[in-house]
Amino acid sequence: MPTHAPVHVLGLGKTYGKVVALDGISFTIDEGSVLGVLGHNGAGKTSLIDILTTGARPTSGAATICGWDVVRFPHHVRRSIGVAGQFATVDEELTGRAQLVLLARLYGAGRRAARDRADELIDAFGLADAARRKVRTYSGGMRRKLDLAAGLVARPPVLFLDEPTTGLDPVSRNVLWEIVTDLAHQGTAVLLTTQYLDEADVLADTLIVLARGRVVAEGRPADLKRSLGNRTVAIRFPSLTASEYAAQCVASHGFRPVRDSGEPLLRIPVSGTGDIASLVRTLDGSGVDVGDLTVSEPTLDDVYLALHGAGDHPG
Amino acid sequence: MSRHAAPVRGPRPDITTSPTTPIRRSPPAAHREHWGVSGFGTQLWVLALRSIRTAFGHYRLIFLGILQPVVIMLLFSQAFAGVSELPGVASYGSYINYLLPATLVTIAVITAMSSGAALMFEITSGFVGRLRTMPISLFAVLLARSISDTLRLVVQLAAAMVVAVLVLDFRSTSWVASVAACALTAAVGWGMSWVFIAIATWRPSQEVMQAASFVVIFPLMFTTSAYMPVESMPGWMEAVATVNPLTYAIDAVRALTVGDPYGTDLAAALALLCCAALIGILTAAHGIRRTR
Ligand SMILES: Nc1ncnc2c1ncn2[C@@H]1O[C@H](COP(=O)(O)OP(=O)(O)OP(=O)(O)O)[C@@H](O)[C@H]1O
Ligand SMILES: [Mg+2]
Repeated sequence: MPTHAPVHVLGLGKTYGKVVALDGISFTIDEGSVLGVLGHNGAGKTSLIDILTTGARPTSGAATICGWDVVRFPHHVRRSIGVAGQFATVDEELTGRAQLVLLARLYGAGRRAARDRADELIDAFGLADAARRKVRTYSGGMRRKLDLAAGLVARPPVLFLDEPTTGLDPVSRNVLWEIVTDLAHQGTAVLLTTQYLDEADVLADTLIVLARGRVVAEGRPADLKRSLGNRTVAIRFPSLTASEYAAQCVASHGFRPVRDSGEPLLRIPVSGTGDIASLVRTLDGSGVDVGDLTVSEPTLDDVYLALHGAGDHPG
Repeated sequence: MSRHAAPVRGPRPDITTSPTTPIRRSPPAAHREHWGVSGFGTQLWVLALRSIRTAFGHYRLIFLGILQPVVIMLLFSQAFAGVSELPGVASYGSYINYLLPATLVTIAVITAMSSGAALMFEITSGFVGRLRTMPISLFAVLLARSISDTLRLVVQLAAAMVVAVLVLDFRSTSWVASVAACALTAAVGWGMSWVFIAIATWRPSQEVMQAASFVVIFPLMFTTSAYMPVESMPGWMEAVATVNPLTYAIDAVRALTVGDPYGTDLAAALALLCCAALIGILTAAHGIRRTR
């Protein structure tokens, strides 16, 4: 029997009238792996999730979830997915617990199993204090947590999270990260959009960066960072004269130091370990005093800014 | 995790042969208990129970829900007192006998309208959006709403009857007739709720929803014998009244409560209500499934 990738997307396109939300997206998510989707506001992240969760129809291309086409077999797709959308979808008039029980019952759980599942999720998300209050009285972050719990009720094999940690406090964010990592270990395929690059770095096995509905970069976080090439060496000197002298020295050896206005600090982009060694030798040879030297890896922020920064950011 | 049968291949591009064969790790424990689906009956039951809990879950809501028919009843009995002089009304004994059925039907229509408003709130608040991502029948969502709101209506009708009997001196021929009148009114509420549910599923804005509701309500209510005998209306209104389902419903309820023959009115009312409900159901079932 053929095994189907949990999520498979080919040439997916979506237009709303004249607005092109998605323009030929393709990717696959395997069992147990997490795909991070990055992109500016309006890049098409939510549109992508809407289509994959059967809430909207693609205008071109196709997508399957566990082998089921999202357009032709929406009901089968819905059996396999859990969703926490960008905007909380909670029922104001029920208590948090009653809501989770209700959803579990709708997924086919018996009364007992539904209650157990609700309590399990309430514990996992630290909602115990609020569980028996009406959702109407919840804070923004509490709603979000309840919504995330709601997406997990059925233990779906495929999980879609649209900016899941927006509005969560740091502790809750860590809790969610752990939950997602655990689920992935157990085999869940996860698609997660985020504006937080550290989150993408921690959680995602693979990243795609969307801009205006197109994939402009994709790969493992580490590869994306490496593709950007440069690490940066930051050197602090005892005085401005020292830093000025050092700048001239290293510049004459082909480096491109960036001065920090007012501070005796130089930032020097380097491409490999060899570069660092030769930089240190140059400084040593010039006889200037070096106060403090740090080497920093490129962050996903650098990647993101490099992709979107070059006049590519739509207004 | 449950594996489904291979999907049927169709004219779409064949994308099931993925280039990356997924590596299956040790049995995905997380999904072993994956439940899958519930039956239509369970969905209906769970969702209806939820709406009923919401409707009766707070003393303020219960109080207001019961106050509303009582206020309508008291207000109408005072405001339209002069009408009792008119010849068409005199034959009913007292004006309350003429008015009560109209009041009951008014209550039914208002409750039906609130059904649509409640559904619309659930659509805009995103709760229906969550249900959309689940393997359940969206029709069950609508049916549950119409059923629970009809139950709420029954409670309201009972309250209205109690007030009519205790305060306004309403006397029916028999209590069986009164119960039958309430049942017919509940049927009116159920049929009409589908009209408003259908409007709500087409996701109008709040303003459009309100405007549409009033466009439906006012012509329906005022071209009936609800408050005035049809004979006292201008000719064109009389013509409209004779094709309005609510006229038959009101006349049938009226005939039931005073012990007149009600056969044809009842049949016409039920037939027209079924038509309204059917059109509403079909429109709503289509509207709720619509995707962007
Ligand atoms: N229902 C709709 N009707 C018309 N245009 C839409 C609709 N939904 C989305 N769009 C447009 O499609 C584009 C992509 O929107 P989308 O919500 O997918 O962006 P996003 O990446 O999720 O942005 P954000 O980071 O702000 O959540 C935007 O230009 C948006 O205006
Ligand atoms: Mg979005």
